[in-house]
This record gives sequence, structure tokens and C-alpha cells, in this order.
Amino acid sequence: MTTLDDLMKLPGAMAAFEFRGSGEVLEQRIAYPDRINESTLDLLAHMCAANLSIATMQARGWEKVTGMEGFYPIQEFTLIGFDWSVVVSGLQREHYKQAGKFSLPPFMGVVLANESADYEAAFGILERKEPVP
Amino acid sequence: MSMIRRLLALDGVNVICHFRDDGYLIEGYGLMSHNDMGRLAQFARDYRRIAQGNADQLAMFSGMRGWTPPHGWIIRGVTQSLCGVANLVCVVDSTGAPLNEILLELREVSHW
Repeated sequence: MTTLDDLMKLPGAMAAFEFRGSGEVLEQRIAYPDRINESTLDLLAHMCAANLSIATMQARGWEKVTGMEGFYPIQEFTLIGFDWSVVVSGLQREHYKQAGKFSLPPFMGVVLANESADYEAAFGILERKEPVP
Repeated sequence: MSMIRRLLALDGVNVICHFRDDGYLIEGYGLMSHNDMGRLAQFARDYRRIAQGNADQLAMFSGMRGWTPPHGWIIRGVTQSLCGVANLVCVVDSTGAPLNEILLELREVSHW
């Protein structure tokens, strides 16, 4: 059972996906193709990749200006839309970086319906520590 | 007592700020200097606009309804996270904080 399959078991899960840092979708699961399709998921992944980069820049700047710590590196980004939310994570990549690996796993994300979204459960799956080979 | 101050009673909430549409800090409470709260308010206002712009463009390019207007955003760091809803932003612990409850409270308080 992969992480994508586990994400699809979350309440209100509409889609789960893996994507590169440049935004291209590598793998996906879609529960309701009539509501969200591959093309939309591709745009969403590119938007999330951009937001992770922006948030990373902001976290770096914030820590430098304020002297506060604990924001960088960014682990997850979540956009809560009007009806849907998207939660994406790059935490597994950080584990690989810390282990000195140059080849990094993809980012992962899930699209949830807001009315039943459980953000803590989504973070719980996305932050599950997988063994670094 | 300020309405937003009650959010500090939730586990893991360290700072809560309320800001105007131009990013000016109206009130802020918690473990942060007033100057940094001012910066946080400005940041949250800017980030809200970024999130709004992204959601608008996603909706326009994809034709998928239900993304706009966005309700909020979360940026999750190693030990600290930021949650923004409307003109409110809070700093919460990344682990152990009841995020679902915090988001519900932020949304409720933002309507006052």
C-alpha cells in the first residue's frame, strides 16, 4: 500500500498526487474524475510547487530578520479554497537530504473536500517517516 | 477581553494577530514582540493576496469551481507553523496543536 493510496482513504479525499519540484505530476489517484481531472491536477501541482518555493523564501527571510527559528525548511503547504483544500508535503525529501542523498523522492499532495477535511490526519500520513534506502 | 485573544487558550497557539486590509496590525497577542507582530501582519496580508491570486488563476485556467474565494492557508515549518484565515494569522506549534480546531476557531472569530 503506497502513501498515495493511504491519502485516498482520508475523509473527503478527491485526489492524491506526486510531483516534481518543477511541478510536473508523476503519479496520481483520482476519486471523482467528473470533478477533478488530470489537467486540473497538473495545474494544481505547478501552483503548489510555486507556493512551496515562495514560502521557503519567506521562511528564510523571516528567520533572518526576526531571529526566530523553526520555520525553515518548509515541510508542507496548504491552500484552503472555498470548497476544496490541497495539502502538499516535501518532508520526505528533507529526510533524504539529511541522509546525504542527492536523488530525492517527489513531493506528495492530496485534494480534500472541505466539509469533511481532516488536516491533522493528512499531515499525519504525509509526515510518516519512511526508511531512506 | 478581545475576541481573538481566546485563540491563545487553544493548545499550541503561540501568537494571534488581527490586521487591516492594508496589513496594518490592529491587535496581536502572544509570544512575540510588537515589532515582529507588525511584520507578521504585513506578511500575512501579502501571503493572503498571493493565495487569492493563485486560487483565482487555478480556477480560471482549469475551469474548476470551488477554489475561490479561498478560506485560508497553512505554512508548516519544522517546529512552527503559520495559519491564516481572512484578516487573522496565528503562529502554532507544528506538532501537537489541534489544527482542525484552530482552523474552525479562526474561521468563526474572523466573522466577528
